Amino acid sequence: MRLILILSLLFSVVSSEAKPISNDEPQKSFSVSGYIKDATTGEVLIAASVYIKELGSGTVTNPYGFYSIGLNKGTYTLGVSYIGYNTFEQKLDLNGDLILNIELTPEARQLEEVVISSVKKNNNVSSLETGTSQLQIESIRRIPAFMGEVDVIKAIQLLPGVAVTSEGSSGFSVRGGASDQNLILLDEATVYNASHLIGFFSVFNNDAIKDAKLYKGDIPASAGGRLSSLLEVRMKDGNSKNFSATGGIGSISSRLTLEGPIIKDKTSFLISGRRMYADIFLPLAKNKDLKNNKLHFYDLNAKVNHIINDNNRIFISGYAGRDVFKNEFAGMDYGNNTITLRWNHLFSKRLFSNFSFIRANYDYELGTQAERPDGFEWKSNLEDHSVKADFTYYLSPGNIIKFGGATTYHHFLPGSARGTGSESLFSEFVLPDNFALEHGIYALSENKIGKNLSVKYGLRMSIFQNVGKATVYNFDEDYNSIDSTVYESLDFYNSFSGLEPRLGITYMLGEYTSIKASYARTRQYIQLAQNSTAGTPLDIWFSASKNIKPQVSDQISLGLFRNFAENSIETSIEAYYKKMTNTIDFKDHAALLLNPKLEGETRIGESWSGGVEFLVTLNLQKLNGWVGYTLSRTERTIKGINNNKPYAAPYDKPHNISVVLNYPITKNLHAGANWVYSTGNPVTFPTGRYEILGAVLPIYSERNAYRMPDYHRLDLSLTYSKPPKANKKWQSEWNFSLYNAYGRHNAWAINFVQDENDPNITKAELTYLFSYIPSITYNFKF
Amino acid sequence: MKKTFLYLGFLLLIVFPIMQSCTEPIEIELDNSYARLIVYGEISTDTTVHKIRLNRSADYFYNLPAEGVSGAIIRISDGVQEITLSESVTEPGSYQTESNYYGVPGRSYSLTINNVDINRDGTSETYSASSELPFMAAPDSIKLNYANYPFFTGSEILLFAKDPAETEDFYAFKVVKNGIQQTDSLPEIFVQNDLLFNGNYTNGVSVQFLDDDKPGEKVSPGDTIVFEMYGITAGYYNFIVQAQTELFGSNPLFSGPPANITTNLTNGALGFFAGVNIRRAGVIAPESN
Repeated sequence: MRLILILSLLFSVVSSEAKPISNDEPQKSFSVSGYIKDATTGEVLIAASVYIKELGSGTVTNPYGFYSIGLNKGTYTLGVSYIGYNTFEQKLDLNGDLILNIELTPEARQLEEVVISSVKKNNNVSSLETGTSQLQIESIRRIPAFMGEVDVIKAIQLLPGVAVTSEGSSGFSVRGGASDQNLILLDEATVYNASHLIGFFSVFNNDAIKDAKLYKGDIPASAGGRLSSLLEVRMKDGNSKNFSATGGIGSISSRLTLEGPIIKDKTSFLISGRRMYADIFLPLAKNKDLKNNKLHFYDLNAKVNHIINDNNRIFISGYAGRDVFKNEFAGMDYGNNTITLRWNHLFSKRLFSNFSFIRANYDYELGTQAERPDGFEWKSNLEDHSVKADFTYYLSPGNIIKFGGATTYHHFLPGSARGTGSESLFSEFVLPDNFALEHGIYALSENKIGKNLSVKYGLRMSIFQNVGKATVYNFDEDYNSIDSTVYESLDFYNSFSGLEPRLGITYMLGEYTSIKASYARTRQYIQLAQNSTAGTPLDIWFSASKNIKPQVSDQISLGLFRNFAENSIETSIEAYYKKMTNTIDFKDHAALLLNPKLEGETRIGESWSGGVEFLVTLNLQKLNGWVGYTLSRTERTIKGINNNKPYAAPYDKPHNISVVLNYPITKNLHAGANWVYSTGNPVTFPTGRYEILGAVLPIYSERNAYRMPDYHRLDLSLTYSKPPKANKKWQSEWNFSLYNAYGRHNAWAINFVQDENDPNITKAELTYLFSYIPSITYNFKF
Repeated sequence: MKKTFLYLGFLLLIVFPIMQSCTEPIEIELDNSYARLIVYGEISTDTTVHKIRLNRSADYFYNLPAEGVSGAIIRISDGVQEITLSESVTEPGSYQTESNYYGVPGRSYSLTINNVDINRDGTSETYSASSELPFMAAPDSIKLNYANYPFFTGSEILLFAKDPAETEDFYAFKVVKNGIQQTDSLPEIFVQNDLLFNGNYTNGVSVQFLDDDKPGEKVSPGDTIVFEMYGITAGYYNFIVQAQTELFGSNPLFSGPPANITTNLTNGALGFFAGVNIRRAGVIAPESN
C-alpha cells in the first residue's frame, strides 16, 4: 500500500515536470527514432551522439542503441557521430513520426587511439554527468596488461578517483569507498566477486564485452544499492551480419569467441570462453609436491538476441565462471553465475521500455581430504533473483524522463560445514539461511534549459525488508549476545526505507568549457564481511538487519571541464566531498567466517572522503592516452576502534597518479606504456614488544598510523598487427608486454620477524609479489 | 578454525611459487613506546613448582633479552587458600610456588601483583588477573602416524578422546618425547575449540607433530611419546590464537588489521595468567614407525 503511495507520488513529480514544457510547444510534435548500429557487425552503439543541426541539440543512444527525438513539423539535418566511425548526416522533411535505423561504418584507420572515449567531440564538457568514465573495449586492449590479460577492472583502476586495494587485486576503492561499495553489473546482473585467482585477473573476458562505464559520484537514480560507484559492463550482442571468431593464446590463458547471425539482421549469438592454465606448468615446478596440484579458472559468456519487430527485441545472456585450486590435501573452488533475460519494448516511438529478469549467484566450496577424521567440506552461497522495469520517455530534444523500478530477492547461505569421513570428527555446522527483499523505484528528468544550462534531477526510493525464517541475535551495548529471536517463514520482521535524491547541473561557458555540479545520496543494504584489504573469495555478504543499519552516503561534486585544440585535448578538475554514516568496520581480532553472531563483530561509525581529481585526456593525431592525478583523504571514526579516534581508512592514498599512453610507431606497430604512483597504504606497525615463551610479541601503534612505502610501477607493451592480406578475413597480432618494467619491489606486506640466529633481534621484512613479468599473447580474428 | 587457515595456507602455497613472491629486509623507523608490565604464567593441575614470569616491555627494536621485574609481591588465591610466591634467586623476574602446589579444576584463581613500579614514578602499582581452572576428561589414547605432507615430514599424534556435549570446550595440545617437552615455543602449541565437533568422539584426528627436520624431534623406535592435553579457558584460547596470528605475519588477503593481543591482566599490563587442566596419554614408538 505504502509502495503504491510512493509510486504515485513519484509519478506526480514526473507529470508536473512535464507540463510546462508541453505548454511551450503548442505545435504538433513528431518523433524521429531508431537504432544506431555498426555496419559491419550489427552491434548497437551505446551512447552514440544523435543531434539536430538546426537546433544545436540532440540526444545519445541508450544502452540498447535506441534514440528518439521529439520534433515539430519542419526540415532538419540529423547527424550521428560515434568515435571511430564515419559521421552520418541526413536531411529530414518531417511531417509524421519517422523511424530511422542507421548503420555507421568504422573509419578506415584503426581504432588504436582513444582510450577514454569522448563520444560527441565535446561530450565530456556538455554532458550532464560528473565523475563518469566510459571505456571502450577496443581501447582497453592497448593498455599494457599483467600477464598479457587485458582487463576491464585493471583499466578502471587507472582512472583518477579510483585506488587499487592491494597489488594484484581486482578490488578497487572509488573516492575512498570500500571495495564492496561498488555495484558491478554484467548485463544488469550483480557480479558479487569480480576476481579470479585471488584478484590477479577479473571475471570479465574482454572478447565478450562491448563497453564498460564507471560512475564515481553521480550514480543515476535508476541504480542503487551501493554507496560509492556503479560499474556497468555490457556484453556484445553478437555479430548479426557475418559469422566471426576472435581468440587469443596467451602465456597463461587462451580465449575463443564465436559470434554470428542465426537469422541475418534479426537473430544473433555470441559464445565466448576463456581458460587459464597455470597448472599446466606445475609439472615443471621444482617442488615435487606442486606437481599434482590444480590451479585454473574459466569463464563462459553466452548471449542470444532476437529482433521480433521494430517495437520488440529480446536478449538472453549468461555468464558462468569458476576458479579451481586443488592439491592432495585440500581444495577450493568458487565462482559467479548470472543470467539475464531482457525484453525491449516500444510503447510508442517516444516511450522506450526494458523489462529484465535477472538471476545472479556466487558460491564457494572448500574442503580437505574426504576420508580423514578431520576431513570436511564447507560451502557458502548467495543468490539473487530480480525483476526490473525501466522506461524512458523522450519528451523533446532537451527533455528526457526516465522512471522505473526493481525488486530483488536475496537468499544468503552464509556457510555450512560438515565432516566428510566415515569416522568424522565434525558435526554438521550450519549457519541459518537469510532472506531479504530489496526494492527501488525511481524517476528522473533531464532538461536542457536555454542554450547553456542543463539540469538533471531524480529521486530514488529504496526499501529493504528482512524476511523470515530467521534467527536474530540480540546484543547488549558491548556487543555481547544476550539472547536470540526466531522469526517464522515469510515474517517481514524488519524493514528500512529511504529517499535518495540525485541532482546534476551543467552550465556551458562557451563551446569548450563547462562547470558542473552534482549531489547524490546513496544507500547500501548489503555488504561484505571483509576485514583484510584485498579480501579472499571466502568473504561473505551480509545484509542490513535489526542490528545493522543501512549505510548512507551524501556526496557533492563540482567540476570544471575544458577542451583544447578542437576537443583533442580534454581536461577536467573535479572536487568531491562525501560523508558516510553507519560505516561498518570490525572489532579487533574479529571472526567473520562461520560465525552465527557475525553482527556482534561489527563496529559502527562515520567516515568522510574528500579529494580533487585532475585528468588530461589526449586524443592527438598519434599520441593518445591520459594523465590523472588525485589528491584525497579518507578517514573513519568508529566507536570501539582506535580508542574512538579518527583513523585513515584502509584505502586512503593521498597521492595517486596514473599515466596511460599509446603511440603508433608505424602503421602496424603500437607502443603502450603506463606508469602508476600512489602513496603507500596506511598500516599499523608495532612500537613496543614483549616476550612470552621466547616469542617476541608486538604492541601496536594507533590504527593505521604508519604507511607502506610508496607504490610505483611502469608497464610497457608493444603490439604488432600483421598487415591484413587482400581478400583474407584473417587478422592477427602479437602483443608483448612487460609488467613492472623496472622491477621495483613494491611492498605487498610488511612483517616483523625474529632473527633466526638471535631471537632477541627483530627486523622488518618486506614481501613483494612481482619483479618484472614479461608475457606474450597472440590474438586473431576472422 | 585455525586448522582451516592452515589448509588455506597450503592453497596459498600453490599459488605463490608461481607468482614469485619474495621477501627482503626493509628499514623501518618506529616510534618509541612506554613500558608496560608483562605477566605470564599457568596454574596447572600438576603437582609441581608453578612459575609466574614478570617482564618489562620495550621498544620494538630493543633487540635484547626482556628485562625481568624483581622485587614484586605476588599472591595467588583459589578461594580456599592464598599463597605468596617467592622470587627465584637464579632467574630474576621469575616467581615460584612451592613444589607441592597444584591447581584444582573448578576453582577460580586470582593473581595479585604488588610492589612494582613500571613507569618509575616512585609509586608502586597493583595489577591483578583471574582465571578459572576448567574441568576436562582425560584422553583415551593416542597413536603415532608417520606422515608426509607438503612442507612437513614426521610423526603426527592421532588423538582418541571424547568431547563433552554439555560444555563449550577449549584445548591446547603439546607433546613430550623421552621426558623432554617438544612443544617448547608459542607457535608450536596447537589450540582448538569444539565449535565444529561439540560432543563428538575424535576418532584419531591429528593434533600434534614431531617434525623430522627439527633437532631432537625425529621419533625412533622405543621412544616414549607423551601427549599432553590441556583444558583451557576461552580467554586463554583467544590469547594463544591471537599471539600465533601475530607471529604468523600478515598479508592483504587473510589478515585483518593488526591489533594488540588480549589480556586478562588489569591496569595496562599485558600477557596472560591462566588456569589449565593437564591430562596425558602415552605410547611407545613401535618398530615399524
